[in-house]
Amino acid sequence: MRTHLGATACLVAFCCAALLAEKLPHGHVPPGKVFLVILPHHDDHTWEYAFGGLIAKFVDAGYTGYYVRVTNDEKDGSFGWAENNIVNHREAVEAVRYLGMKEVISLNWRNDHTDSVPLNELRAQLILLIRKYRPDAVMAYHPWGHYDRNPDHRKTAKAVAEAIWAAGNPNFLPEHLGLGLQPHRVPYCYYSQRSDYGRGYRPNIAFELNDSQMERKSKAYWMNRNVRLQPSIAREIRAELARTHQTIPELEGLNDGEATKKLQEWRMYWISAKRGQENGVKYAEVFDFIDEFDDVPGLKDYIEQNAVTK
Amino acid sequence: MRAALALLFAVPSFAQILIVTPHADDYLVCAGGTVAAMIQNGTKAYVVRVTNDEKDAYGISPEEAALRSRAESEEAASVLGVSEVVSLGYSSGELGGVSPTELRDRIIFFVRQYRPQIMFIPNPYTHYDADLDHYYVGSAAEEARWAAGLKNFQPPHALVQLAPHLAPELFYYSLPLDPERHTPESTPTFVAQPKIVDITTTFNRKLRAVRALKTRNRALALDIRQRLSNRGKRLPLLDPINDESLDRLAEIRLLGLAQLAGKSNEWPLAEEFFYAGSDYQIPSAYRK
Repeated sequence: MRTHLGATACLVAFCCAALLAEKLPHGHVPPGKVFLVILPHHDDHTWEYAFGGLIAKFVDAGYTGYYVRVTNDEKDGSFGWAENNIVNHREAVEAVRYLGMKEVISLNWRNDHTDSVPLNELRAQLILLIRKYRPDAVMAYHPWGHYDRNPDHRKTAKAVAEAIWAAGNPNFLPEHLGLGLQPHRVPYCYYSQRSDYGRGYRPNIAFELNDSQMERKSKAYWMNRNVRLQPSIAREIRAELARTHQTIPELEGLNDGEATKKLQEWRMYWISAKRGQENGVKYAEVFDFIDEFDDVPGLKDYIEQNAVTK
Repeated sequence: MRAALALLFAVPSFAQILIVTPHADDYLVCAGGTVAAMIQNGTKAYVVRVTNDEKDAYGISPEEAALRSRAESEEAASVLGVSEVVSLGYSSGELGGVSPTELRDRIIFFVRQYRPQIMFIPNPYTHYDADLDHYYVGSAAEEARWAAGLKNFQPPHALVQLAPHLAPELFYYSLPLDPERHTPESTPTFVAQPKIVDITTTFNRKLRAVRALKTRNRALALDIRQRLSNRGKRLPLLDPINDESLDRLAEIRLLGLAQLAGKSNEWPLAEEFFYAGSDYQIPSAYRK
């Protein structure tokens, strides 16, 4: 009985906290046609702190999306370096297409070695892609995130931060203009990072996901099978539960591979429902949104108040 | 200890200041009013401009932009009352390819030459500033300020009578891009703290200085016009872009920034910094 009361009190406290917590403003897909997702690894767009639902939302709104995979992902998965690269790329193409994006552009820098890559060189590649595809929105890791120990996350995020404005300046890489590529500045950016990595990432916008977008987000996540559907994931959880004489009834009768898939689905639904509860909807994702003209404080208000239709 | 303190603070207040700026406009936009007030009080100000501003232009080559920007940076500084501008000439937007140690050592030279009481440097800890030149210069300048006081950094300087020197006061400047920028650092000592400076009396001088950067101002106007055009919009102020509209755009921008900084102190016009002053060097608890 005491346990029951304690659990009820905890539940009430949790619900009150969720109700009292300040909700983020809800975002809307901005006007535009093209978005780029620029991330270091093949599966970075689909995990629980990423963009799977937002990608589905943009595609539903009529956008065309391209996924830029900066590294070769050779370290991630059950194979050796070369085969991991090939398998992860193939699965990324499947997941990206399932989400509704058009293609994967792989820059193939060596996985977990990008600290040694000159930032300006990576930036130059991204400037070219931005000028070619002319995205209205970019989704990327947070350039000012703290405590992200993955060198590929940090380097890619910094290169994105500069490329999105430098691509709009004709005096950066002027040789591109000779090919007919025109300068293009990206107006809207969505940044994300693990939200338990401390100061540096505070989301300022929430996007509601419908059931269909939620389902696509969840499936795209485990479609990166080489990393996300390792049977050892369920095996280890089951072993841990067995030590304390517990079990998960829904997983009984499933082999470790099938159980892992189920667990990964729950994981994505759990985080999306949590973000939804925090923001007054069923499912949500949260981001740090950089709006057009946020880079010119002092002028932004004037521009918004005085710009007129051409 | 007391003797050391007396020596440290014996330097006449506001004797000279050294401003390290990545581009011609950075210190003017973020700190021009504060610097102008110090100059009015008799301070001599020196500027180290690290890059050549070759990217801050539309429709002219990087070389032409660099040439014009150099002349305009000197004109703008003279409007503010700056005694000298030293341009290091690094390609703007490309500092990611420059050795941080090289940049630091170049700045150490000028700290020892000008021997400032106060330094103004870009804040390398600012979030949301996507122009990484600001970060690279801020980091190098912060390190140079400290290292210039130690004789074992660049010992050949001693051969040309450049003695070690530590600037006791430090202003970190940046654009107000970070929503968390007013949050104080973790402790009140040994780390810089937020500081708001009233610039009501020097705002007009700052504005005149910024208006002198015609190439930079024109680039900003063209950038805004292009971005709005991509959205099917236009800004009537920029039809056409001429001296008059550029001057008005600079005024709107600087007023907006100054009002934003003044909000927290209810000053009409201000600038905001992170400031590391005497408490940063030696906490008051130790200065009895």
